[in-house]
Amino acid sequence: MAEEVRAEMVANVWKIVAAEGDEVEDGDTLVILESMKMEIPVLAEVSGKVSRLAVAEGDVVQEGDLIAVIG
Amino acid sequence: MPLTETVAAPGIPAPAAPTPAAKPSREDDPRNPAKRLERLFDAGSCALLTPADDSGFLAATGLIDGTPAVAYASDATIQAGAMGATGCQVILTAYERALADGSPIIALFHSSGARLQEGVASLHAVGQVFAAMTRASGKIPQISVVLGPAAGGAAYGPALTDIVILGPAGRIFVTGPDVVRSVTGEDVDALRLGGPEPHGRRSGVVHVVADTDEAAYSSARKLAALLGNQGTLDAAAVQDRDLAHLLPASPKRAYDVHPLVNAVFDKSGVELHPKWAPNVVTALGRFGGRTVGVIANNPLRLGGCLDSASAEKAARFVRMCDAFGVPLIVLVDVPGYLPGVGQEWDGVVRRGAKLLHAFAECVVPRVTLVTRKTYGGAYIAMNSRALGATKVFAWPSAEVAVMGAVAAVRIIHRRKLAEVSDDIRPQMEQELAAEHEKVSGGVQRAIEIGVVDAVVEPGASRSAIAAAIAAAPGGLGGDALVRGQHGNIPL
Repeated sequence: MAEEVRAEMVANVWKIVAAEGDEVEDGDTLVILESMKMEIPVLAEVSGKVSRLAVAEGDVVQEGDLIAVIG
Repeated sequence: MPLTETVAAPGIPAPAAPTPAAKPSREDDPRNPAKRLERLFDAGSCALLTPADDSGFLAATGLIDGTPAVAYASDATIQAGAMGATGCQVILTAYERALADGSPIIALFHSSGARLQEGVASLHAVGQVFAAMTRASGKIPQISVVLGPAAGGAAYGPALTDIVILGPAGRIFVTGPDVVRSVTGEDVDALRLGGPEPHGRRSGVVHVVADTDEAAYSSARKLAALLGNQGTLDAAAVQDRDLAHLLPASPKRAYDVHPLVNAVFDKSGVELHPKWAPNVVTALGRFGGRTVGVIANNPLRLGGCLDSASAEKAARFVRMCDAFGVPLIVLVDVPGYLPGVGQEWDGVVRRGAKLLHAFAECVVPRVTLVTRKTYGGAYIAMNSRALGATKVFAWPSAEVAVMGAVAAVRIIHRRKLAEVSDDIRPQMEQELAAEHEKVSGGVQRAIEIGVVDAVVEPGASRSAIAAAIAAAPGGLGGDALVRGQHGNIPL
């Protein structure tokens, strides 16, 4: 089943770490957000293939916005 | 209405429902309450407190890791474990015994709610159980293990206890899927209504989600032992460990705080509410052999910000530990409260106030360690000196301030910064920030005004915390517990 990774809070997308098509493991960093003056990694919570990456560096995400889809 | 609507546990597939042809004898039925009680207690220690009959409940005494405890189980082989007047009397008997012994009480729930056949008499009896649970609250540890459906009245039983553990077949809801469908038209199954995902992540009803029944019993045993036999603190046995390497080199980088929490304990503790409000971690474990609670901001989630749910979660944990005399270690790395309309509408003011209240009334030893930063209102909430912290320690590079220095000078020196060109502004901000830190931020200033007691090196933190707890009233444990005189309302 596809696992959607969504933003927990308003943030800037600071760095993209994983690419579409990558195989990721549970705990791997997908992107790094910048919020509250901190760099906050967004981690995969399942293992699988990144089928979609919905953000680009410099984007602003709101709480609940889709970041990536795994599987 | 809900109490009676769910009697037949509609829509719930009975786990491993015996087919008529191969119906096991009650003796072999895995739902047999006597069997379940035996699995909970140390081998051979289970002694029945009430007769095995048709009441729908069975109570027993026994040992858990050698510590006396009382337990009761619903009998799901009779009317799906429904709660009637005689069954509720069994629970009251169990409570009387646990209160008299001062021992933990553990409930094994698998019940469809109040017995429909008994009408309002069963509701009255269930209400008496709730009242007994509330009277015992804060006096003896109460732990619930939900092994099957716990519906209607049987949902609020676990909810009134200190800790709720959910087994793989556990489903907790006020009204079952059939009632939801007929009343609201909403099509939802029992798993989505009251399974591990909703209660572990969304509602905060369940403290521990277990993948197997065995793991559920094991969690209950660990927690009963931690709360029922707190041990004594041997401060000299608390070895210092290299804690600094558990944090990233860059102070801006978020990290998972769990390795730090577990390194503060003697060995890994038991985390409560791991998936709900994960931006704060609450865990029970041993420290120098004595039970302590650890509360830690987790920067990996929401940057470690406090928000309405995490403040409420931490507040309930503080009050539970306070009621049972369990000292607290508070690991602080918090950028503030999470801003936003969602939070304000979610009651971050009201729910955040619970954490202030919980710490301010707390009488157990409670030691704060600021690892990286503590800002603003969250600084106050995370067991600050003003709220009565026993000791406040900070690592050498920690920041204690209203906000980060750069953010502060951007406000204080807004005009001055606006007048300079873009290319020299960042440098000017840094210079002003350094100047600002000298007068308002930084650990040194916090020590001067007495809100931080001492700077401790990461590698000397465990022993410093141990000495602080050992020196405080009730810190050593044993017979000299200091306990908050209040119940543990499920905040």
